[in-house]
Amino acid sequence: MRTKIKCLALATLFLSTSASLYAMDLTKAYDMPEATKLIKKDLFPAAKKFTMPKSCNLTDANAIARGDFMFNNLNGKKAKGKLPAGLAKFVEKTGKDGKVKKKPKQYGNCIACHDIEGSKGAGNIGPSLVGYKAMFIDTKARDAQFVYQKIADPRIDNANTHMTVNLTTGLFNEQEICDYTAYVVSVKNKK
Amino acid sequence: MKKVLLSLAFLGTMAMLQLNAGEQFAMSDADRAMYEEMLENNPADIFVEEGGEIFEEALGGEEAFAKFLEVSEKDLPKYIAGFPRYIKKLGNVVGIDQVIQAMQVSIGKEKTKLKSGKMFSMLAYVKSLANDELINIDVEADEHIKASYTLGKTTYMTARGGRGLACNSCHSADIVGKVLRTQPLPDLGEVAVAGTWPAYRMTKSSLRTPQRRFQGCMKNALLKVIPIGSKEMIALEVYVATLAKAKNKKIAIPGLKR
Ligand code: HEC
Ligand code: HEC
Repeated sequence: MRTKIKCLALATLFLSTSASLYAMDLTKAYDMPEATKLIKKDLFPAAKKFTMPKSCNLTDANAIARGDFMFNNLNGKKAKGKLPAGLAKFVEKTGKDGKVKKKPKQYGNCIACHDIEGSKGAGNIGPSLVGYKAMFIDTKARDAQFVYQKIADPRIDNANTHMTVNLTTGLFNEQEICDYTAYVVSVKNKK
Repeated sequence: MKKVLLSLAFLGTMAMLQLNAGEQFAMSDADRAMYEEMLENNPADIFVEEGGEIFEEALGGEEAFAKFLEVSEKDLPKYIAGFPRYIKKLGNVVGIDQVIQAMQVSIGKEKTKLKSGKMFSMLAYVKSLANDELINIDVEADEHIKASYTLGKTTYMTARGGRGLACNSCHSADIVGKVLRTQPLPDLGEVAVAGTWPAYRMTKSSLRTPQRRFQGCMKNALLKVIPIGSKEMIALEVYVATLAKAKNKKIAIPGLKR
C-alpha cells in the first residue's frame, strides 16, 4: 500500500515535470505576417540619367497647365481646381484577379516641399522655385535639361537627395516630366 | 526662401509661431484650442480603461501577464518599458500584442487579431502599466534583438515605393523641423514615438498604435504598406525606440496627436 502511494506520487511528479518540459509550443501561437517579399518587390531601380525628349514643348500652354496642376496636387481623389486638358483624375488598373479597378491618379505634390508662385501652404524641404526662370534659366545657371533630370531622378545630381524620384519609379511618364519642367521654367503671373 | 525654423516639431512650440500660422500649418487656432483641452482629458483614456477590463477578464490581468513573462509583478513596468524584446518561448523578437496573443493561445482562447480595435486597446492598457518609466530597450541584450535593430535601421533607410522615399527621407536629423506641405516634420526620438503611442489621433478620431502610425506614413508616401506584426514592423519599432531612449524619454500612454 505504502509503496503504491509512493509510486503514484512519483508518477505524478514525473508527469508534471515532463508536462512543463514539453510545455505547449508557443512559437507559432501568435501572428507574424510576412513583409520581406513585399518590401523587396517595392524597391526601385538605381539612379538613372535621362535626356529631355525633343518632343517636349516647354511653351505649350496645356503642358504648363498640367504641370501646374500636378505640382499643386497629391492625387486625383484629393485634387482641387479645374482639371486641365490631357490629364485624368483616375486611372484604370488591372488587379491580380483580372478585374479592372479605378484608382486615383497620382500627381507630384511638389508643393509639399517647394514654394512657387501662388502657392498655399507650401513646404520648405526643397528650395523655393519662385522666380525660377529669371533667377536660374535666364542667367544660364540652369537649363531645361537640368530641371528635367532633377524631376525625373534627382539622385543623379545629389545622391543623398530628399526629393522624390518621379520617372525611374514609373509613377510618371516622359510627357508628364515635360509638363512639370514646362511649368517650373515658365513665367508665372500668379501672386 | 521661406525657412521656418522650428527647434522641435512639437505642437506646443507651434502655438508661439506668428508666421501666418493659419495658412502655413495644418493645425488651426481652433484645432489647437481643442488639443489643449484634450490634453486635460484624453479621449483615449476610455479605450485604455476598456483594454484593461478585457485584459483583466480574459487573461487574468497583470499578475498573470507577469507570470507568463516570468518576471515579478514589481519588475513588470520596467520590463514593459523595454519592448519589443526577444522572448525565448516565443522564439522571436515580439511586441506586447504578440505576447498577448500567445498568452491567449496558452490558455486555450482564441487570439485577438493584431489589427483589431480590441487589441489596440489591450496593448495601450498593458503599455500604460509602464507609465513614467524610462524607455529602456536594450539592443545589445542578445543576438536576436541586435539583428532586429539592424533590420529596423535598414527598413527605415530603404527608399522604395512609387516616389522612392524612405522613412529617413522625411525623418532624418537634417530635415527635422522643416515643413512638408503644412506639417512640421517631427524628430521621432524627440516626440518619443516609443513612449507616446498608442495615442489618440485627433485627425482619425481613434486610438492608433505605433505600427498603425507607421502604416499611415507608408500609405501617404506611397510605400507599400507592410502588415502589423511583421518582423520589419517590429524592427522599425525597435529602431524608433532607440531614438527615444537616446533622449531619455519616458512612457506616457495614451499619447495625444494631431
Ligand atoms: C520630399 C521633398 C520634395 C518633393 C516632394 C519635391 N522636391 Fe524638388 N527638391 C527637393 C530638394 C531637397 C531639392 C534640393 C536639391 C536636391 O537635394 O536634390 C529639390 C530640388 C528641385 C529642383 C532644382 C532646383 C535648382 O535649380 O536647384 C527642381 C526644379 C525641383 N526640385 C522640382 C520639383 C518638382 C517639379 C517636384 C514634383 C514633381 C518636386 N521637386 C518634388 C525636395 C523635393
Ligand atoms: C513624405 C514624407 C514622410 C515619409 C516618407 C515618412 N513620414 Fe512619418 N511623418 C511625416 C509627417 C509630415 C509627419 C507629421 C504628421 C502630422 O503632423 O500629423 C510624420 C509623422 C510620423 C510619426 C508620428 C510622430 C508623432 O509621434 O507625432 C511616426 C511614428 C512616423 N512619421 C513614422 C514614419 C515611418 C516609420 C516611416 C517610414 C515607413 C515614415 N514615417 C515615413 C512624413 C513622412
